[in-house]
Amino acid sequence: MTRPRVLVSVAGVMAFLTIPTPAQSTPGQPASTPPEMTATYNSLADGILALRRSESNLVKAILASTYGNAEATLEKARARIESKKDARAAMEKLAAFVAQLGNEGDATVAGIRKRLLEGGHHHNSAAEQQGVYDEGFVVVTRVARKAFLDLAGRIGKLALAPDLAALNAEWQSVVKQYDAVKSEAGH
Amino acid sequence: MVSPLIQVAAGACALALATACAGGSRGDARPTIAPPSSSSQPPALATASQPPALATASHPPVHAGFHFTDVALEAGLTRVVRAGRPSKDHLLDSAGTGAGWIDYDRDGNLDAYIVNGWRLSGSTILEKGPNALYRNRGDGTFEDVTERARVGGEGRWGSGVTVADYDNDGWPDMLVTNFGPNVLYRNRGDGTFENVAARAGVEAPGWNTGAAFLDADGDGDLDLYVAAYIDCTLEEVLKAVPTLNWKGVDKVATGPFGLAGAPDHFFLSDGRGGFTDATVEAGLQDRTLGYGFGVRAADFDRDGDSDIYVANDSDANYLYRNDGTGHFQDVGLWSGAAFDSHGAAQAGMGVAVGDYQGDGLLDILVTNFSEDFCTLRRGDGQGFFEDVSESSGVGPPTFTSLSWGTVMADLDDDGDLDIAIANGHIYPQVDRHPEFGLHYAQRNLLLANTGDGRFVDVTASAGPGFALVQPSRGLAAGDYDNDGDLDLLITNLEAPPNLLRNDSARGSWLTVSLVVPPGGRTPIGATVVVEAGGRRQIQDLATGGSYMSSHDPRLHFGLGSSGVADRIEVTWPGGARQVLTAIPANQRLTISRAQLDVAGPGR
Repeated sequence: MTRPRVLVSVAGVMAFLTIPTPAQSTPGQPASTPPEMTATYNSLADGILALRRSESNLVKAILASTYGNAEATLEKARARIESKKDARAAMEKLAAFVAQLGNEGDATVAGIRKRLLEGGHHHNSAAEQQGVYDEGFVVVTRVARKAFLDLAGRIGKLALAPDLAALNAEWQSVVKQYDAVKSEAGH
Repeated sequence: MVSPLIQVAAGACALALATACAGGSRGDARPTIAPPSSSSQPPALATASQPPALATASHPPVHAGFHFTDVALEAGLTRVVRAGRPSKDHLLDSAGTGAGWIDYDRDGNLDAYIVNGWRLSGSTILEKGPNALYRNRGDGTFEDVTERARVGGEGRWGSGVTVADYDNDGWPDMLVTNFGPNVLYRNRGDGTFENVAARAGVEAPGWNTGAAFLDADGDGDLDLYVAAYIDCTLEEVLKAVPTLNWKGVDKVATGPFGLAGAPDHFFLSDGRGGFTDATVEAGLQDRTLGYGFGVRAADFDRDGDSDIYVANDSDANYLYRNDGTGHFQDVGLWSGAAFDSHGAAQAGMGVAVGDYQGDGLLDILVTNFSEDFCTLRRGDGQGFFEDVSESSGVGPPTFTSLSWGTVMADLDDDGDLDIAIANGHIYPQVDRHPEFGLHYAQRNLLLANTGDGRFVDVTASAGPGFALVQPSRGLAAGDYDNDGDLDLLITNLEAPPNLLRNDSARGSWLTVSLVVPPGGRTPIGATVVVEAGGRRQIQDLATGGSYMSSHDPRLHFGLGSSGVADRIEVTWPGGARQVLTAIPANQRLTISRAQLDVAGPGR
């Protein structure tokens, strides 16, 4: 039950290096936050904001990649339906990709994302209703996420009895939802 | 002064990351959660300070005959379950333990097994609580045979127990999951057990929790799925202090978010008592590292093999669909099994499986954290589920409590499945803030099935056993006194267990034991359909479920006013069917795969 731990905290190092400077006050004015600490915090804020933009860009890339995979899988499913071959596997794969659009990635991404969340049991139905329950999603809103999951479920069920027209109709909804997410995210 | 070097390094790091991702397009600030729109609003829910009106408020009192009495102490079940520190500084302090029913000596009476934890003071270990095996004397009392049977838990901080005859020698064995290596107690058939976990290859050190034996690959022997919770060391547990800001008013134990999850394991049996870790090969790699607790295997899509459901705390639940060869695919995300009806992950703890509607299809109940519903998912028999927590009436009465062990079982023998739930908060600090209306010690819940697909809260009228207020965790249902109704064994933190004897007014009943000759194909995974009084009930023989606990290995059917089961159909693993007709009610029936060893007419 032991595992290596490598904890490197840039912020911690920065804070440590700034500690030696005591709070200084201008004569006649009360002591305030040392200017060098304020400057450090400002630099740190620049870094944090840049990282947030990086995270957002990465998630958009994940969504684009997932959407591309979904499109390719859709074509396979269509081809199999048209040629009257078993399309269930392809359609279930498509359902999984659509669900991943709602989750901003696959299971491995989910495993990483929860490291970024505050400790504690976040889920709370009342807070969820109020829209303040944060699962840590970056681009996909709660409403869009629900829509993707519902669409994934419908496509998954459709896999039991594949129908091209029904599949196309569901896919149009996926396209519409994805375009809305892209628009809201400033793609 | 700020070091210029640090400034440059931080800026460069941020720049590098910013430009490395997604072509460096101008990104947005992290968006907030979208404001709720009218079209997406979930039904009105209660807030923490305003619990929802109980379902009983809008329904006439029904099933007033429920009556449970705690007889644990007079029956001799006295082992105190240890649970870390009183202040619950780490989640391990508050996770609690499970309990199980096992007829280890095959005398026809269910014996009780209680898993135990450790008691701490700060970072000092005060006591390594031993597990307890209580032999049922058959007169309503138990004797502690832990030492004689050699099943004290090997000094480990226990989690749960799963009972099954893993080596198919005719004697039930126990897998005890631990914070640390698991213990596999092989029943030697002489009243003693031996720990063969290392030899069998199932120790899997870690924080192991729920487990289920199942025949994943259909080869006739039992394979094993073991869920795991958080990846942490004992040193971290001992040094833990409450750091999580709870509602802005107190500090409580942190996690599970922010802590690394531990991977679940799947062990494939070699049919000779040994197992191989085949997690990856079977497609069961825990890539999310979900915080796993409850595990239950069942054939949810009715294709003749065992699928696996895992309740994860704060993560998406898993539904692993078996392709019939022992290879699995997680279909939870698009089958309605992973999230609630709003698409949100919940803090899953325990799991129960049963056909609450009597439509022949298996449904799933998952217990969740406080200020969240327990989630009832109605199955369609094709592997898809719909969250019916609201419409079924399960949601409102389960909202405030923090729920753990559970069972869907016919507790008044009227022919439909009721729900019992063990409750208790994980933060003792909540008692310092009565304004939130939450309590550390909580009443357990009893929800009666009204027979029309709905449940009503009958806790208040279910006798003194359901008036107890304790921090409960594990729950195992079993007819320990063989009187034809299911009793409830419940574990509590820093207290002895409760044994809620069922004294309810009840209907007719039938208890079905499925047996195979030693060396035969395991009966786990079999389904039994009982038709009586125009009603059709289906149950599956399974291990696992609840919260790290093991129910009665016999299947219990309530028959209402029917004095006879018109038809009983057993579908054994592999598909062989056995049909019995005109079976008198109110008996314990043994059905053997080898021969129609049936007590009663209708062979």
